[in-house]
Amino acid sequence: MAQNEHPGDELEMPDASRRHFLKQSSALAALALAPTAAVKAVDTGWDQKIAAAFEQLPLQVTINGTVQNVSIEPRVTLLDLLREQLHLTGTKKGCDHGQCGACTVHVDGQRVNACLTLAMTTEGSNVTTIEGLATNDHGATARLHPMQEAFIKHDGFQCGYCTPGQIMSAVACIREGHADSPEEVREYMSGNICRCGAYANIVEAIMEVKQGGKKV
Amino acid sequence: MTKETKNPSIDRVDGRMKVTGGANYFADFELPSMAYCVLVGSEIARGTISSLDTKKAQGAPGVLGVFTHQNMPPIPGWDAPIGGQADGPPPKPKTEETYRILSSPKILFDGQPIAIVVADTYERATYAASLVKATYAKQASRTDLSKHVAEGIAPGGSGDYSRGKADAHQTAPITLEANYTIPIEVHNPMELHGILAHWTGPDKLMIYAKTQGVNATQNAMAQAFKLDPKNIHVHTEFMGGGFGMGLRTWPQETAVVAIARKIGRPLKLVMNRSQMFTLVGHRPYTVQTIRMGADQTGKLVSINHAATAETARYEDFTEATVNMTKFMYACPNVSTRYRIVRLDRSVPIWMRGPGEATGAFALESAMDEMAHKLNLDPIEFRLRNYTETDPEHNRPYSSKNLREAYEKGADAIGWNNRKPQPGSLREGNWLIGYGMSTGVFNAFRWEASARALLKADGSLTVQSAVTDIGPGTGTALTMIAHNVLGVPVEKIKVEYGDTSLPKAPSQGGSAIVSAVGSAVFDACTAIKQALIELAVKDGSSLAGRQADELTLANGILSVEKEPGKKLTVSELMQVNKLTVIDRTKESKAGPDHQKYSMYSFSVHFVQVRVNPLTGVVRVAKAVSVADSGRIISPKTAASQMIGGVAGGIGMALTEEAVIDHRFGRFVNNNFADYHVAVHADVPAIETIMIDKPDPIINPMGAKGMGEIALIGFAGAVANAVFNATGQRVRDLPITPDKVMQKLV
Amino acid sequence: MNPFQFTRATTPKAAISAITKESGTYFLAGGTNLIDLMKREVIIPERLVDINKLPLATIEKTASGLRIGAMAKNSAVADHELVKKHFPLLSMALNAGASAQLRNMATVGGNLMQRTRCSYFYDTSMPCNKRGPVQAGPDKGKPNGPSGCGAIGGFNRMHAIFGSSSKCIAVHPSDMCIALAALDATVNVSGPKGDRRIPFSEFHRLPGELPQKDNTLLPGELILSVDLPTNRFADHSHYLKIRDRASYAFALVSVGVGLDMKGGMIQDVRLAMGGVAHKPWRLFEAEQFLKGKEATEVNFKQAAALAMKDAKGYGENDFKLTLAPNSIIDALKTATKTA
Repeated sequence: MAQNEHPGDELEMPDASRRHFLKQSSALAALALAPTAAVKAVDTGWDQKIAAAFEQLPLQVTINGTVQNVSIEPRVTLLDLLREQLHLTGTKKGCDHGQCGACTVHVDGQRVNACLTLAMTTEGSNVTTIEGLATNDHGATARLHPMQEAFIKHDGFQCGYCTPGQIMSAVACIREGHADSPEEVREYMSGNICRCGAYANIVEAIMEVKQGGKKV
Repeated sequence: MTKETKNPSIDRVDGRMKVTGGANYFADFELPSMAYCVLVGSEIARGTISSLDTKKAQGAPGVLGVFTHQNMPPIPGWDAPIGGQADGPPPKPKTEETYRILSSPKILFDGQPIAIVVADTYERATYAASLVKATYAKQASRTDLSKHVAEGIAPGGSGDYSRGKADAHQTAPITLEANYTIPIEVHNPMELHGILAHWTGPDKLMIYAKTQGVNATQNAMAQAFKLDPKNIHVHTEFMGGGFGMGLRTWPQETAVVAIARKIGRPLKLVMNRSQMFTLVGHRPYTVQTIRMGADQTGKLVSINHAATAETARYEDFTEATVNMTKFMYACPNVSTRYRIVRLDRSVPIWMRGPGEATGAFALESAMDEMAHKLNLDPIEFRLRNYTETDPEHNRPYSSKNLREAYEKGADAIGWNNRKPQPGSLREGNWLIGYGMSTGVFNAFRWEASARALLKADGSLTVQSAVTDIGPGTGTALTMIAHNVLGVPVEKIKVEYGDTSLPKAPSQGGSAIVSAVGSAVFDACTAIKQALIELAVKDGSSLAGRQADELTLANGILSVEKEPGKKLTVSELMQVNKLTVIDRTKESKAGPDHQKYSMYSFSVHFVQVRVNPLTGVVRVAKAVSVADSGRIISPKTAASQMIGGVAGGIGMALTEEAVIDHRFGRFVNNNFADYHVAVHADVPAIETIMIDKPDPIINPMGAKGMGEIALIGFAGAVANAVFNATGQRVRDLPITPDKVMQKLV
Repeated sequence: MNPFQFTRATTPKAAISAITKESGTYFLAGGTNLIDLMKREVIIPERLVDINKLPLATIEKTASGLRIGAMAKNSAVADHELVKKHFPLLSMALNAGASAQLRNMATVGGNLMQRTRCSYFYDTSMPCNKRGPVQAGPDKGKPNGPSGCGAIGGFNRMHAIFGSSSKCIAVHPSDMCIALAALDATVNVSGPKGDRRIPFSEFHRLPGELPQKDNTLLPGELILSVDLPTNRFADHSHYLKIRDRASYAFALVSVGVGLDMKGGMIQDVRLAMGGVAHKPWRLFEAEQFLKGKEATEVNFKQAAALAMKDAKGYGENDFKLTLAPNSIIDALKTATKTA
């Protein structure tokens, strides 16, 4: 499929985008499209970086308000892109299979599990992570989001590992309109596991933010 | 001072870091040219690798190495044959096998690493790992403890216990015998285990670890690589939960360090969730039998408590499963017996509340069963057998306020609504039941050191190598320092979780506030003494006063008898040309400790709702009462307790790691199928702190809370389910199938 | 995950032609199940066709009921006013599944295509007849793990009591599909040979001799939408899900009920169960029995007994022989009361 047009004028490796490379030769394109191509490339003594270029696709995605243009293998998840390539390590890996919620981020305003989201599917999207939640979190005087404040006040965490996911999920829970009672919050927050067991405090924090009526 | 007055609630000192994503856990660190490790696990539980195909993996893009038993770089400290574990406590009696990671084709448990693949990206390492293929000469494996209970062996050092008459049970007027089972439970902290290892020089090592003790990891690595511990720097400022699994250095950590040295690049290993079930310990499957005798007045005549737990063939793991039975109640005839069975399983490790939580489920269920037989209220039955002195060691408790705890908890849950006859309370389709249980755990005071630095600007820095895995150690240490020196909380900075700081024990055993807190108390007290000495010496504006006339608060020294007479700490330091007062103290228990038995106590109360048709059990209300001395940090202490309740609900109702014994392999080793409690399982929880200082344990009067928050909770739920339905579930977890009643 | 080719389709036609062209190609919708299976090497695709940009997410009223686009997210359907008002059973079933995050990702079409959660299917070192051969990579065409059914004689607590075969006793894990089965939905699909409509009861299949096949879709077919006919069950609908924890767990047993009540009488009824079979399990006989009868516990018990006529346990799931009828009764009782 034609996609991600980034018209360029050069065919150079290894950092030329895969698409530029493909434009030049249909035979090479066929090779590039085969999943074992990279392995073959190595076997036949090609430079590994060329192999990498074969495997990579361009992606443009806005993360916490910043446009990111990256080149990634399609198998890279949003979670691993954030953590291992963009060094946004606030989003955590707890299970890598959509079973714990530690990797919860917002994609176009919706809370999702970044571990089951192929980064390529976020082309053109807006992603918000815990690092982008506060209005200006660059130092001690920066303002926290009301949910972050409430988590501190109600001690909604212990080890802190699930906390970024809990907070991203909590904000979405209110925005979705699923925070009308503690029971409803418990149900709609059940996708975020906290092994330290801070649940009761987290629910209190969310109810306070919800009842406080501040925009979240 | 701490002992006399209750402490105010303060926010967690690392809260801001944790809510902004700024807290760095080991896997969050980034090093230049860092590469990624992925473990490949065995697919059998016992046998030998017959062939190992690593060619495809080696040829895959980005792969830097595939390490197996055929090419694993040596770990020099493992050269000597050792009977027990290489990286933990001293050798125990010789086990059947020795486990050295990637050192032989022999397989001792399912999931045992057979290869470690290293590549330049996480994705490439993961894919290459999937290309490693092994074939095995498989042997029949034994993984089912319930089939091998009779083969239990007495572990070295932990003998059987008895007092009174051995046959008292036979003549007791009212008797009860029951078996209780705890399945395999897995710590499953949210943070995946692993390590980031970086050789910064030929003999210099930097490690970002997931450990409950940086000093312990430092020592383990020093031993494994025959290095001076000084050349090993371990950093664990933040740890995403441990619950016991981080109380030792696991073989795969050591292996990654060895491979990092060989490859010459920093290496990061982040294990996957399934590997968390086999490579970092678990709560062992344990079967228990309790025989209990009582007389018509509700006095216990005898208790026999026997427990058998699984361990690995290569290591004898033991825990204090039967200990509570020895000292909890005034009972003249008590015997306990503890056995382990070596199976083709990976080794267990202490999991929150450890063996005591396993034992308490049995003992406190049996107490409830006996109370029912005696037609006594369960609290009344416990009070009739209450003891003010420790019957095991014949010495007083350092403090025990359990009566008050029973009373306060009963009030809070509405115990008087409970009906003694099971199945008497109903709300629509739901049966209501009440249950309670006691918890107890040793109050330790281990040796620890801490450093305090008071600066002329009035700020204080407190340092200790201790890790904070979540209980709020940093917050508690802040409060202790504040109480001694009167420095405002916001001017205190606690630095921890790094081997460059004064030595501390691993965070475990509910002992850290007592151990490290005492060292902080002593270091701050030393600073205070130094200040007072300066203040009363010749030439000072407070010269001539007695040291004990001075008080210190908010950076100001004053004399109570002379209002208005003040000297600020910064003036005092300036006058004496001091920029900092720096004190390091080592602190440990005094000889007094031998004269007392020291325990923290808890009481858990629950109200459950049970749907008799579907067997669904919901904990509707929970009240947990802690009798653990002076509470240092009320907010984080309450969090510890609610965390124990959440863990307790999981233990009681949902958690069970299941093995298909035909393969010796887990079938639910993930977060979808191994059910830890989620939000919807956990109600609002009331926590009550007795908050009375213990006069013996330490200068703060504080005892630990982490374990008692969980210990006993599962029993309270089981007892409440019985009260609701008349159904006694003795095998955890209490899933719907064990409770539903046949209707059609 | 293995390296694979990634393309994006913007029209159903392009998507269908992309999947038809090369074997080992999969549609990628929400990814909540497919990516999971790829991480576990149960599915090893040559190529993914991202269909998230297809214009198939509309939920709209039709002359005969409601049409839900295949790419509508589970959460969007569950929270949709028309669904909540006229098809509350569907809303309840959706909200009983997975987590809020996963429901924001998962699509209606993807939910229909969900694979079983059987542990043996998921672990490629364990025997399973459902996995079939490796689809791509150096081992293409070789069996993906040992064959046989690990669950028979093994850990089968979660497994089927109806319609199983000696080859497979896995269950379909969807909650949404239980509601769709009860509500007599129709699945609209498009393929290389054109469009067709599949009645919901014929969409999923029993394992029989071919457990690799979950449904009756033909190669290259793409789900476009699901149609729901108008009904009179809105006032008396209930979805009961019994699971090992209060939320975020797969069903041991679930029951979807829709009652059309007049006075104390049942005019019409729909009953379907989850967690009991390889497909969403309609209780036609029990429905037939209850029609025109009074809504009493005695009748509910008899209906439940009828529903269990051909049930068979495999050891660890024997408890379902009690839990299932009990749940039917409990769900019917609740549905009678709701309004």
